[in-house]
Amino acid sequence: MNTSNQLKMTVYSALFVALISIGAFIAIPIGPVPIVLQNMFVLLAAILLGPVWGITCIGVYLLIGLAGLPVFAGGTSGIGKLFGPTGGYLLGYLPAVFVTAAISKGLGKKLSGDIIAMIVGSLIVYAVGVPWLKVVTSMTYTKALTVGMYPFIPGDGIKIIAAAYIAKSIRPIIKL
Amino acid sequence: MALIPFAFRPGKSALHLLDARLKFFLICLVSTSMLSASFVPCLIYSLLLILFFNLARIKVFQLLISMKFFLLLLGFIFLARCFSTPGDTLISAYGISISRLGVTTGFLVAFKFLLVMMTGLLFSGTTRPAQVKGAVQWFLRPIPFLPEKRVAVMISLSLAFMPIILKQNQKVADAQAARCGNLEKNPVKKIIRMVLPLLKKIFLCADNIILAMESRCYTEDRTDPEFQPSGKEPSFLLGSLILAFVFIVL
Repeated sequence: MNTSNQLKMTVYSALFVALISIGAFIAIPIGPVPIVLQNMFVLLAAILLGPVWGITCIGVYLLIGLAGLPVFAGGTSGIGKLFGPTGGYLLGYLPAVFVTAAISKGLGKKLSGDIIAMIVGSLIVYAVGVPWLKVVTSMTYTKALTVGMYPFIPGDGIKIIAAAYIAKSIRPIIKL
Repeated sequence: MALIPFAFRPGKSALHLLDARLKFFLICLVSTSMLSASFVPCLIYSLLLILFFNLARIKVFQLLISMKFFLLLLGFIFLARCFSTPGDTLISAYGISISRLGVTTGFLVAFKFLLVMMTGLLFSGTTRPAQVKGAVQWFLRPIPFLPEKRVAVMISLSLAFMPIILKQNQKVADAQAARCGNLEKNPVKKIIRMVLPLLKKIFLCADNIILAMESRCYTEDRTDPEFQPSGKEPSFLLGSLILAFVFIVL
């Protein structure tokens, strides 16, 4: 990768770190409950930046949170959060971003391919997050799924469809 | 007028002049030790935070106004704890009961989240992105195979982007509201109409930053920033260690 392209990817990755970090502040009121866009920006980072820079972006985001800046969901931070009940969702971002980016690239960065990639990515986040939640809180799998996955599926579906259309419109602008 | 969270505000307070490396260590220490804290130490810490915000000339109330969605989220966390924590029943109606323990733990958890958030905002409000970059680089240098300079640049750039994104988001939201965009019922369209203009604007801003960096012959091999300790570091370190001890013990 030449220096100019590396600089471009560094700045774009930093931009996505900022978007993911403040995703909890960007809320869109849909019905009585506002939808926060943090996980949508994670998936967008994967399909727009690719596997390597996507993982770098999530790694830096986790590092900022570990250092104590309030960037994790709910404005929290610190090593305690990473190893707490919801830490699995945060760590799940790493494999999710890699797989999402790889599938999107493999399917030719098309709208339908992006949607499939993001569905798989979301499932990976839950596949890491829900068992983690179960182990840390000593819940049953049924309860862990009830509090840690089912309520978020409709919102995730909406965000995935929106993210696919957003990626389609943004790609020609950023020329990646 | 609401303040933009995460934006650096110039000043000459003790926190502004404190070594950024120590500030990093302190927020890490405070946010981790606060996990096991009870209500009274949290209340004392909140008063200390208000004092430091005042000394740094950052208006807490205006900052809270700009975080109204975050406060709403804290409200949800409080309610979730109220309804899900078992214990002595405080209120019971229509088959739903709220326990006394649920109310107290819910309030404490929400209060701690708010304090961690405000601590981080105090840090970003009193530390220049260049100082953040220097501190991150200093901490990451001993770790092998990690491009510490690039990571430090990414962190300082992302801290610089955060207030820009929040400002642009507010502008897009106002523009949408002026065009009755808030009446849109389709959630997918609603998200696209909010996020697409925001991303277009901030990617344009990112392109300008890339151009500016390239035109100044940016390379990763630059002279590292010098740290200038203010002399108050030992007192801040001692104070924070006492605070962490109080959080853990009381």
